[in-house]
Amino acid sequence: MNANEIRDIVEKHPSDRGGLIAILEDIQAKYSYLPEDALRLLAEETGTSLVDIYGVATFYSLFSLTPRGKHLCSVCMGTACHVRGAPVIADEFSRQLQTDPGETSSDGEFTLDTVNCLGACAIGPVVVMDGHYFSNVDSGQVKRIIKKTRAGLDDAQIKKHMRHYLYDVNCSRCNHSLMDPDHPIDGAPSIRLTMSSERQHGWIRLSALYGSFTVESEFGIRTSTVLDVFCPHCHGELKSPTTCPLCAAPMVTLFIRSGGVLQICSRRGCKGHMLDLEGAGI
Amino acid sequence: MERLQVIEDFSSLQARLTADREPNIPVIVIPAGTCGQASGANDLIRVTKRELLDKGLTDKIHLRVTGCHGFCEAEPSVLIEPQGTFYPKVDAKQMVRIVQAVAADEVLEDLLFADPETGRGFYRYDKIPFFRNQQRSIMRMNQALDPIRIYTCIVSGGYGALQDVLANRSPYQALQEVKDSGLRGRGGAGFPTGLKWDLLAALPDEPAKILVCNADEGDPGAYMDRSILEGNPHSIIEGMLIAAYATGATEGVLYVRNEYPLAIKHLMIALRQCRELGLLGDDILGTGLRFDIELVRGAGAFVCGEETALIRSIEGKMGEPVQRPPFPVEKGINGRPTAINNVETWANIPLIFKLGAEEYAKVGTNGNTGTKIFSLVGKIKNTGLVEVPMGITIEKIVHDIGGGARGNGKIKAVQTGGPSGGCIPADRFDLPVDYDSLAKAGSIMGSGGMIVMDDNTCMVDVAKYFMNFLMDESCGKCFTCRKGTQRMYEILEDISNGKATLQDLDLLEELAHVVKDTTMCGLGQTASNPVLSTLRYFRDEYIEHIENQRCPAGVCKELVTYSINENCTGCGLCVTVCSEGAISGEKKGRHVIDVDKCIKCGSCRTVCNFDAIDVR
Repeated sequence: MNANEIRDIVEKHPSDRGGLIAILEDIQAKYSYLPEDALRLLAEETGTSLVDIYGVATFYSLFSLTPRGKHLCSVCMGTACHVRGAPVIADEFSRQLQTDPGETSSDGEFTLDTVNCLGACAIGPVVVMDGHYFSNVDSGQVKRIIKKTRAGLDDAQIKKHMRHYLYDVNCSRCNHSLMDPDHPIDGAPSIRLTMSSERQHGWIRLSALYGSFTVESEFGIRTSTVLDVFCPHCHGELKSPTTCPLCAAPMVTLFIRSGGVLQICSRRGCKGHMLDLEGAGI
Repeated sequence: MERLQVIEDFSSLQARLTADREPNIPVIVIPAGTCGQASGANDLIRVTKRELLDKGLTDKIHLRVTGCHGFCEAEPSVLIEPQGTFYPKVDAKQMVRIVQAVAADEVLEDLLFADPETGRGFYRYDKIPFFRNQQRSIMRMNQALDPIRIYTCIVSGGYGALQDVLANRSPYQALQEVKDSGLRGRGGAGFPTGLKWDLLAALPDEPAKILVCNADEGDPGAYMDRSILEGNPHSIIEGMLIAAYATGATEGVLYVRNEYPLAIKHLMIALRQCRELGLLGDDILGTGLRFDIELVRGAGAFVCGEETALIRSIEGKMGEPVQRPPFPVEKGINGRPTAINNVETWANIPLIFKLGAEEYAKVGTNGNTGTKIFSLVGKIKNTGLVEVPMGITIEKIVHDIGGGARGNGKIKAVQTGGPSGGCIPADRFDLPVDYDSLAKAGSIMGSGGMIVMDDNTCMVDVAKYFMNFLMDESCGKCFTCRKGTQRMYEILEDISNGKATLQDLDLLEELAHVVKDTTMCGLGQTASNPVLSTLRYFRDEYIEHIENQRCPAGVCKELVTYSINENCTGCGLCVTVCSEGAISGEKKGRHVIDVDKCIKCGSCRTVCNFDAIDVR
């Protein structure tokens, strides 16, 4: 735990109302659980008694006082899932992962959780792995779901035959093609742009595969840095007046030759993007 | 996005967007709520975009990604406007064909939704019984707009009611309109919304008043709020803005449960776009109205749906309910006047102003006006969200819209109202669904979950399930709720294990009444309903468990054994799924289950294509 990180989180939240839960959520997002040191420091920083913080941290099921696994597996136990056999699914996960609900497997890979209704009742029994939903699960599928999760769900999402490359992307100012056939990413020409951040200036190449977030760049960029992005041909800045729906950073606008506008978030690590096929969007 | 300075700016934006609309261009509508995405809607969206770009069709066909349309059973589905062609359960390959068909103005008859009786396809979505028998005034909006693009909302009438109220009505008149509509809170208790607003409006402006949207939809089995939050977050914001104008409130809070990540994302986008456009903040549309909404995420506690617990949670404390009075409307968040309404209630507000109170009140029955969305789930053919006028019978919902039982089962009850509600047996399906009739039958309307149960559902197990839920979620403040739910659970567990006596049944009933009478908040007061209502209508099932150690539905593990009957063809499928190696037999011969090895997981029963697994 880093004391400055905790102080930063505390500072971000107004002290009048609601603060404590939001602070704990942020701490958990950072460390995947609530470390005891962090809670002690939080008590000092905010002047809230440790007992009150402990009370809140144990009252809500979202919070965990022990480290969580790399992957989070949530089995829905809502009524609709229950009548369609959710308890059997939970048992099967328990057996396969050799851990009880609420606990983490001994190899630290999986935390198994049961949750009271994810609101996806029509497609139950539902299991959520690292934010990916699996519907109409039966006990025979459990092994496969675990295997898939270990392999990484982000990669598995775009099946080969459904891949969609944004073939020709042009500068939204000079209309010059930005495609770079000499440096393929994900098996197709990449999109080449120039970027600057913290007085460094260099190239950045993005995957043209829709749904892939692979990026290569001349120098390393810290996650959540907002970049200034330019066209390598006309050197015009590509920032649009629209802001990212996810993080509110400015969007970068690119034109697709066959029609449509692609906007991507200028913040490193943010997956915010919009592909509008009919004009400027929003 | 340019900020709208005055009301006229809004009208001219709306007019400009309407003029830009090209009504003759077909639109491919793909619902992509949580259910849709989980079923593969994202792939359909990708494929559609690829096809439109590749074939150069972007100016001939438009694409709209929306929230859920309610027919979850058919997800991922595709709707073609304006023709109304509906394709259920579409896969990526079929999507390519659909795009081609739309470009050629053709209909793919083999992919249409087929009538289960005649096998013929329906050419329009609104001819399908599931949609035809509903009255979709709120759910319909979900298919009209893209929730992350505010302009698509405005062009389909969003914020029109707000504009009308700000331009043409006094706050008093706006309040009166809501009162005249007869709208009652959709969260479960059915308190008249207009009256609640009236109490808030009557208070002085200092300290500042707060409006809350209770989006802590905790009832397991109910998800209509999620679908509105995801599909049309603007209807809630618009409802709250109208209330702010009518009551003088200046702050809003949206309390959303953390289990709804997509809803949170769409709400955050909607709130930001509203601020950019000047629909939230200071001096809204130049009228001097000041109102902003803060989004607060819950942290996973069912009891926080109770309004006093919700307030404590918003204050950042443990979500324990407190004694009422004082009611939140006098003393709410940080002691300030607070009016709390549920998601569906807020979404009804713009509708009241669009139709006019009088027209709105014509729907439903006297004292129960408007429509109500139910989530029809469980052992039913057409699972999904159904919106019907209040006062319609359960029979109509279950059979006309829901299409009856799933598979070979026979429907024996519906459970309404979540853990606070009860079960209503099939012979009482002529009951109208409104707040009062359901309460008389021993259940409640609740937030609108309707879980259908068939003869493979054990009522003791259902009661045990809810009691386990309530035991977990009881905040522990009242002794009778904390210990009472635990003891009731233990008795129910004994019954389902075949270890109980008839005296235990009397004790269970007595305990249920004590918990009901001696707890403080809604959770405890209704915690006994699942037990009392199943005892009332299904006492024979309890007695069967106790006297004959038999679970008629074949659910209670301790009381059943698995065996294989003469239907077995020896295909060996069950052998491959059995994790315990408990099934053996000759190829093409009848197999047997070793009862000592069998863990009764049900895998074999799930995979068997010949109905050869008996559970008795």
